[in-house]
Amino acid sequence: MSRKVVETDGLEWVRKGIISPEQHAQLLALYPAEQRAIGLLPLLGSLLIGLSALSVVAANWQEMPELMRLGLLLGSLTGAYAAAEYFLRRQYEALGMGLVGLGLILFGAGIVLTSQMYQLIGYDLTGLLAWAVVGILLTWLYRSQFVFLLTVIIGGIVQGYNTGQLGVFSYFTAALTAGGLGYYWWRRPDSLLGGVLATGLLWQIALLVNHLHIKITWFFVPAMLIYAAGDWQANRPAGRALQGPPLVAAFLFTLGLALFGETETYAGELRPPLLVYLAALGAVLALSLWGKHTRGRLSSATDWLLLLPGFYLPGGLPLAVATLVVLYAYSGSVLARAHYEQNQDRVTLGTALFILTTAVAYFKLTWGFMDKSLFFLLGGLLLLGLWWFLRRRATQTFSVKAPD
Amino acid sequence: MPTSPDSSAFPTPLTAALPTPAPLPPMHESRRRLGVRWLVVAQVLFVLGVAAAGYATAALGRIITLRTTAIDPRDLLYGDHLNLNYSISQIPGHLWRGSSVPRRKQAVYVVLESRQGNYEAVAVYAQEPTVPASQVVLRGWVADTFRRSMRLRYGFERYYVPENTGRKLKPKQSLRVQISIAPWGQARIKQVDVLPPSPVPTTTP
Repeated sequence: MSRKVVETDGLEWVRKGIISPEQHAQLLALYPAEQRAIGLLPLLGSLLIGLSALSVVAANWQEMPELMRLGLLLGSLTGAYAAAEYFLRRQYEALGMGLVGLGLILFGAGIVLTSQMYQLIGYDLTGLLAWAVVGILLTWLYRSQFVFLLTVIIGGIVQGYNTGQLGVFSYFTAALTAGGLGYYWWRRPDSLLGGVLATGLLWQIALLVNHLHIKITWFFVPAMLIYAAGDWQANRPAGRALQGPPLVAAFLFTLGLALFGETETYAGELRPPLLVYLAALGAVLALSLWGKHTRGRLSSATDWLLLLPGFYLPGGLPLAVATLVVLYAYSGSVLARAHYEQNQDRVTLGTALFILTTAVAYFKLTWGFMDKSLFFLLGGLLLLGLWWFLRRRATQTFSVKAPD
Repeated sequence: MPTSPDSSAFPTPLTAALPTPAPLPPMHESRRRLGVRWLVVAQVLFVLGVAAAGYATAALGRIITLRTTAIDPRDLLYGDHLNLNYSISQIPGHLWRGSSVPRRKQAVYVVLESRQGNYEAVAVYAQEPTVPASQVVLRGWVADTFRRSMRLRYGFERYYVPENTGRKLKPKQSLRVQISIAPWGQARIKQVDVLPPSPVPTTTP
């Protein structure tokens, strides 16, 4: 619970007689106001001063002697970290961490500008790799959400630069991001960080798949490995957040398969060697189920429906129909579980997935041979009917929960 | 439950942490400060190292001259750089000495030899070859492959110039670039000269 809830809802609780005004005050005292609001003004002020300094420097950068440029870079770098320590010691958390982030960004800028100064750009990847390493070390040193986020982004940039500009994939960077930040998340589970980390890692996996010119379906083996890590995480919301991005990717992929899988050429692009692929995915599945079993969450095993390798089916209508069945089974299972757990957010999610699947199915199965006005009319009626049914179902579920 | 057996450090073995990971204790204040101090020193040293590598490449490297033209010198934005297209950027297919067909983004080794003062490519290998003293090896990457040729990238296609220098150049202006190749393979542009046939005979730094 945050102070905000106590502040806004607390008065209502007092009015209803749930707690006394004294208890409200005691509760408020438990959640001391942060200095964030006050910290914001100096942050904005220093940002403006920093910007003005930056524009002066940028305008004269080329005319400055090299040693002066180097001095400026290193001076602002150390200055940012020193200022961060100064403010952190005085309990200005937000400002302090902002300055640490600035220091980290300045380090990256220092590497790039120095290599630029000596015309060293674009040769090797150690320079930017060092940037990611420093980001991970800072995350561990400061235990900061903000630096974690920044480091995930930096890891993505470094890897994007490696594959795009240098034509190499740095496995070291990928392992470092997964290991250094993943282990941090493992020990300090957090929903936001879980989602961001998974997204950052998926980005690197996508770059790798593209770099290796292998079938894009290989993407799902490491992606589901991330998913499986979420199964092992003791903290349920954090684990779920880590699993979100891989699931979104799998759902979108399956949706795409339902839409375009009919053409043999597309489906043919997706088929890795059957046994090797199934063995790899099966191993990840086993790991995931084991984790689910250990943590008592076997009901979420339906997520794996999306990973059924339907693309091995012969292309054409059978593939499209089979994929639609899988999509229905998945969104139906999400809905069923949401109703069972009485989770309003997941009901909304399940409803959206269900309607999306219906829209795709309808489009897929009728567009070709139905009169267009009838197509839209029936489609509209179908969606309205579906909406009405799902609403009613949701109302039934949640009416039990809210007695008046 | 929240206390980990050894509060001294985070490297608890992963397997031990699997069943129920102990929450990470916050870093001890003095240890954190010490860690940050070392990390800042390391960052400063690293940037200085990059600068030193730049100096050393120029001071210890072997200097070769390449022919090049600037692509779109008028299209210079703020934070000027020239995009350079070298004569060794386009390699005819018959110079390829690899066993398999070159693939995009593959690393290759280009053997250069002096022809009337400028170095030109004489062979391209997939593995680093040993060459006589009259030749130099430059590392590059395949940017694109065509039926009878390929385009390579070396990492010095960009030259950062003082502001407005680029505007003195004409499109398709021929340039002579001095590249310094360090014994450890790093290469950097040392100097860019405008070639005489143009109406602008002055040199850029």
